[in-house]
Amino acid sequence: MDRLKDPIELEALIGRLAEAPSPRGRLWVCGGPGCLAAGAGRIHAAIREAAEARGLGDGYRADLTGCLGLCEKGPLVGVEPGDYVVGGVTLEDCEGLVGETLLNGRPAGRRATGADGAIDQGHPFYEPQTRLITRRFGRIVPESLDDYLKTGGYSALALALGRLSPLEVSERVERSGLRGRGGGGFPAGRKWASCRLAEGAVKYVLANGDEGDPGAFMNRSLMEGDPFSIIEGMTLGAYAVGAAVGFVYVRHEYPLSVERLNGAIGSAERAGLLGENILGSGFSFRLETVLGGGAFVCGESTALMASIEGREGQPRVKYVRSTERGLWDSPTLLQNVETWANVPPIVGRGPGWFRSMGTGDNPGTKVFSLVGQVRRSGLVEMPLGTPIRSLVFGVGGGPRPGRGFKAVQIGGPSGGCLPSEALDLPLDFDNLAKAGAIMGSGGLIVMDDLSCMVDVARYFTGFLMGESCGKCTPCREGLTSLHGILDDLCRGRGRKGDPLELGKVASMLSKTALCGLGQSAANPLLSTLRHFGEEYREHAEEGFCRSGRCQGLFWPEINHELCVGCGACLAACPAGAISGEKKAPHEIDLAACVSCGACLPACRFGAARAVRKGARPERRRDS
Amino acid sequence: MNHTHRKVTGTIDGRKFEAPHGATLLDTAKGLGLTIPTLCHHPGLPPDGNCRLCLVESGGRLLASCMYPLRSDGEAFLTASPLALEARAFVLRLLLARAPNDAYLLGLAGELGVGADPRLTDGADGCIRCGRCVRACRAAGSEAIALVGRGRERKVAGPFFEAPIDCVGCAACARACPTGHIAYSEEPRSIWGRDFDLEPCPLCGRPMGTPEELRRAGVENPVCPACRRREYSKSLMGLPEASFPAP
Repeated sequence: MDRLKDPIELEALIGRLAEAPSPRGRLWVCGGPGCLAAGAGRIHAAIREAAEARGLGDGYRADLTGCLGLCEKGPLVGVEPGDYVVGGVTLEDCEGLVGETLLNGRPAGRRATGADGAIDQGHPFYEPQTRLITRRFGRIVPESLDDYLKTGGYSALALALGRLSPLEVSERVERSGLRGRGGGGFPAGRKWASCRLAEGAVKYVLANGDEGDPGAFMNRSLMEGDPFSIIEGMTLGAYAVGAAVGFVYVRHEYPLSVERLNGAIGSAERAGLLGENILGSGFSFRLETVLGGGAFVCGESTALMASIEGREGQPRVKYVRSTERGLWDSPTLLQNVETWANVPPIVGRGPGWFRSMGTGDNPGTKVFSLVGQVRRSGLVEMPLGTPIRSLVFGVGGGPRPGRGFKAVQIGGPSGGCLPSEALDLPLDFDNLAKAGAIMGSGGLIVMDDLSCMVDVARYFTGFLMGESCGKCTPCREGLTSLHGILDDLCRGRGRKGDPLELGKVASMLSKTALCGLGQSAANPLLSTLRHFGEEYREHAEEGFCRSGRCQGLFWPEINHELCVGCGACLAACPAGAISGEKKAPHEIDLAACVSCGACLPACRFGAARAVRKGARPERRRDS
Repeated sequence: MNHTHRKVTGTIDGRKFEAPHGATLLDTAKGLGLTIPTLCHHPGLPPDGNCRLCLVESGGRLLASCMYPLRSDGEAFLTASPLALEARAFVLRLLLARAPNDAYLLGLAGELGVGADPRLTDGADGCIRCGRCVRACRAAGSEAIALVGRGRERKVAGPFFEAPIDCVGCAACARACPTGHIAYSEEPRSIWGRDFDLEPCPLCGRPMGTPEELRRAGVENPVCPACRRREYSKSLMGLPEASFPAP
């Protein structure tokens, strides 16, 4: 593409591309992290091969696109026209997808005709969603600037550079009520205003793409699925606050994100949308990617900046805001990549339009990664303020067969576990904080009744103990102390006062730690202690794990009224302690049972459950 | 930036203060004669705020006084409120587990009635990871040692956990260490697993530093500090040699 000379030329190009005819048939192979891992790359190649073998011309296309969302059913292939998704695609399905679907518009593939077939926008997974950040996933080739422009991309930049002053751009974001999507929900507009007003010859804009929460892939999907939206957002931010240089800090475990972003930055530069004298406006902005240092703490703002500066990724005491003194001590505007992706539509369509989604204090949408013990996992985008229930039970379909819902862990390791009583809470920054969780970057892990909340707290505390940078005393030493108590509880070495001790240490850790990571490190523990205190008491005082998760702290029992004699538990038992004929209730021989709990998740009928050790005869000592 | 000599006023433990804009809370409290215990803080080194011992309360929030800049009027701080004392006791309990025999920590622990965290006894190596040694090394002009690793594994070391090749043997690190963790010998000089020569002062003959250290200082014809003072005084006053007893 030739360098665009001014905003008018850009707008004309956007118009031309939007009106260009669409291909007669198009297959979108999901290029999200889950589907790629499940072989989407090979499926894409097979589809292309089949299309070439038939000599299909430009009227038919098959491309890799961003995450189609329903990861549970991957690999996914989206179909146009028709606007539906085929799940569980195998290499054998590819021939049919080309011959039948692409050419003749008829559903093909084994799954497409079965129960999971043709998942369209009316499917319970997609129907409740509002797609703003993810609207181009399944609609564009992520690294194609033409595709981005065709779908309205860069029209906000054309508007800003053609008709808006930096102040007007900043004010649109300030009035939109947009809040930071990286975790805390800090009003983005306040940051913009503060950085715009800060004195400094040099200013920076940064994007945080160092997503490190276990089970989270929202930022990754965005960087891989629509990299230009982040770049356009940052360009608008740089214009608004007066920055000439920006960095996207990407986790180094995300090589595809780096590749897509670098590709997109190169295309934007060649088109005159980045670099010197953008669209002839005199405004220059250079953008680079920086690979993360491989530490969770580098997602903390000051540690991220230290890492970009080439120093050890460690936080600093933050009594002076980064918007005043950030990267290389210059005023710095740092936002999560998802926050940046919200900027172009806000600037382009106005704050009023943005406020029509979500709630008064929490406008807009949020992308969540819905994972865990839920029927339909995947990437979900919902308006803020949506009740948690409609996400977990509506979109996600609730817990798996035979299992009951216990908790949903929201916000990653700095977040918290919320019980079923909290399911009707609106998912927004303020309500989550009140309930003891945080929005975080949007990770949602659903847990069923086989998840032990003490064990969950131990897991997250252990994760953070390993990721603590070790700079400040409370986080470095305190987390080890907490983990020791939790480990004792899970191994049956708990003592009566342990839950109280945990609460005291955890609350002091939150108050005394240096950075946001340390201050929130006790959240998984504090929230489980608050909402599932009875489980802690049982571990500490009775040595009992009701979830059958902590080995040795329960006996398994089979409820004969519920057992259908399927033999799944028998097959799962590593000790040979379960016996029973097919279709007849099974028995557990406690003399042979090792209390490992393998039988419990194996049962799909809820017949196997954990009971107190005292309620059943003790195991023989001589065995 | 604001370069005017603006003053900021507020109170610490109910006592009014007036401080230059941007002064730290710790320095201001000291000026009022108040004592806030510190460990990672050293007046000659850049502050780091990592040990969390100097936390004080302001409006329910805990602030690291060694780094908190006074920038707005009317703030009220409490150095010994129940929350501040609870925080201090909590931090002390964790630090004591690292340096259970340190006199300063034991003194504070006695005042607050706390002991070391019983679950953290495995790391009692005497080092509290405050990094004063690392900052002292850098301030003196070298970067021979660093805090290496993360979390509880973090420790002070030379590159690759070997004797640091950039060490000049000045022992600034050991002198800056609040717990005396860094083992060294003054004379003959040895530190960090390395032995150093000591250059005698050309005037009094007493050791004045390692050759590497003197080279780093870049002073021509060095003499020891005591002799330097003596020579300078002599040059100023023009008095006879006998008026200046040997140092």
